[in-house]
This record gives sequence, structure tokens and C-alpha cells, in this order.
Amino acid sequence: MQEEGIKQNYTEKEKEQIFHGEFMPYIKSMYNFGYRLTLDEDDAKDLVQDTYLKAYRFIESFQKGTNAKAWLFRILKNSFINDYRKKSKEPSKVDYQEVETFYNSDEVDRQITPDLRVDSLKDMIGDEISNALNSLDVDFRTVIILCDLEGFKYDEMAKILDIPIGTVRSRLHRARNLLKEKLSQYAKQMGYKNA
Amino acid sequence: MSQNSNPFINASGKKPSCMDMLQLILDGEADADQQKYFKEHMDHCMPCFKSFHLDIAIKDLLKSKCCGGQVPEGLVEQIKIQINLKATDVG
Repeated sequence: MQEEGIKQNYTEKEKEQIFHGEFMPYIKSMYNFGYRLTLDEDDAKDLVQDTYLKAYRFIESFQKGTNAKAWLFRILKNSFINDYRKKSKEPSKVDYQEVETFYNSDEVDRQITPDLRVDSLKDMIGDEISNALNSLDVDFRTVIILCDLEGFKYDEMAKILDIPIGTVRSRLHRARNLLKEKLSQYAKQMGYKNA
Repeated sequence: MSQNSNPFINASGKKPSCMDMLQLILDGEADADQQKYFKEHMDHCMPCFKSFHLDIAIKDLLKSKCCGGQVPEGLVEQIKIQINLKATDVG
């Protein structure tokens, strides 16, 4: 990802080439990220549009040929926090100090994870996985989207989210356990006794 | 397998948990030595064996069920129009 503060000097033609050649190919991933964050189609559209306009405005902070996807995801995440999350009356439910303290303790190794089986997942052909993901707190949802849906590496996620790699790992671990708990509940509703 | 040969042990010397190792493998963050170690470890660690296959299945399910949405009609055009306006303003 481009270091902040280093400005490129592009011609209008170069800007257009970067925008259409390097930024626009990620529109589908960007919309999916926007939708999974806001859980609203109209808000997602606005968020993606704002993100691309900001990307164009600050295009000289981006070095062509580098990691455009991570750069765009970082802008979208910041726009979501600064512009959209503030509109929400519901504050973040996560006490990160508590989470981080827990994951630095030995307690984590003794934690009992839901007894979910691969068999029960095979019948989840509907919206169960999507609903389970959407039901997580947005900060836990975000790390799963970035890692499992979009394939970002830990160091890229750390830069997108402005958190240390250790925090990426602990948050991802916790998010996956919460997701398994949700899936386990769905599996039980579907009749799997020891889901 | 001795603890000293465990390639997951970092500079602090702390022995990693099974879940620590599993997560690095699952996310493609483990190096070749760590992958080899974990493969051998799974042969005698049933919880890791079960968790590994479950985590892979969940990851695949997420990828197949949560990435398929279409970009709303008109969004790409709207962005292009806005950008052209900005470019014209500058020019």
C-alpha cells in the first residue's frame, strides 16, 4: 500500500487510465464490502460512489501498479466509519480491551468452541451463512470479509484497518468462533442434534 | 516431535496453541516448514484434524455464498459521470 504523503504527478490521461484500469475492476468486491458493512443496498451504493470519488480526488497519493484493491478498501472502510457509522445511533458493541485481554490470556486455549460438523454445513444451501455473517458485530464481520471473502493477507488487513497484525489475528479468531456459534444454532434448527 | 523443532514458536519462545497454528495454515500465512509440521501434527491431533476440515468448509461456504451479489444497475455509469464532471472541472 502506498505510503501517505508521497505525491505522484499524473497527467489527466494517466489519471483516467489508473482509475479505469486499476480501480474500476474492483467495483464488485467494493460493492459487496459496502453492502456487508451497511446491510443496506442504497447505503452501499452511496458508500461505493463516495469511495470512488475520494479515490479519484486523492489519486496522486496512489502509486500506479501497487495494491489498488487494498487502497480502495481502506478508503471505503474509513468512509464507513467517518460518514456512515456516525449516522447510526447504535454504538459499537465490542469492548476491544476486554477482547484483547482475553486473547492474551491462557483462557483462550481452554475455550470450548461450538461442536459444529462439516456434514451439517452441506445442507446450508440457503441464506444461513450470509445471515450468520451479517448478524456479527460489524468489526468482527469486517475481518471475515477481508480475509475469507476477499483473500487479504494479515499485513494488508492491518493496514486497511489501522490495527496491529496481532489484533487482526485475535479478532479473526474470535469472529470465526462467533460465526460457528451462529451456524451451530442454524444446524440445530435444521435437525442436526449434535451440530 | 520436540518443542524446539516447532517452527511456529516465535521469538518470544511461547508455544503456540493448536488454534494459533490452524489459523495460520487456513489463511495461507504459514511458511513451508510450518505447513510440513502442521501436516504431521494433524496425524496425531484429532481436534486439529476435525477443526481444519470444518474451517476449510466454512471458508469455502463463505466464498461461494457471500460473494455473488451483482453491482446495482447504473452504479458504474453514475461513478463514471461524476468522474468525468470532475475531470472537466479540472481541465
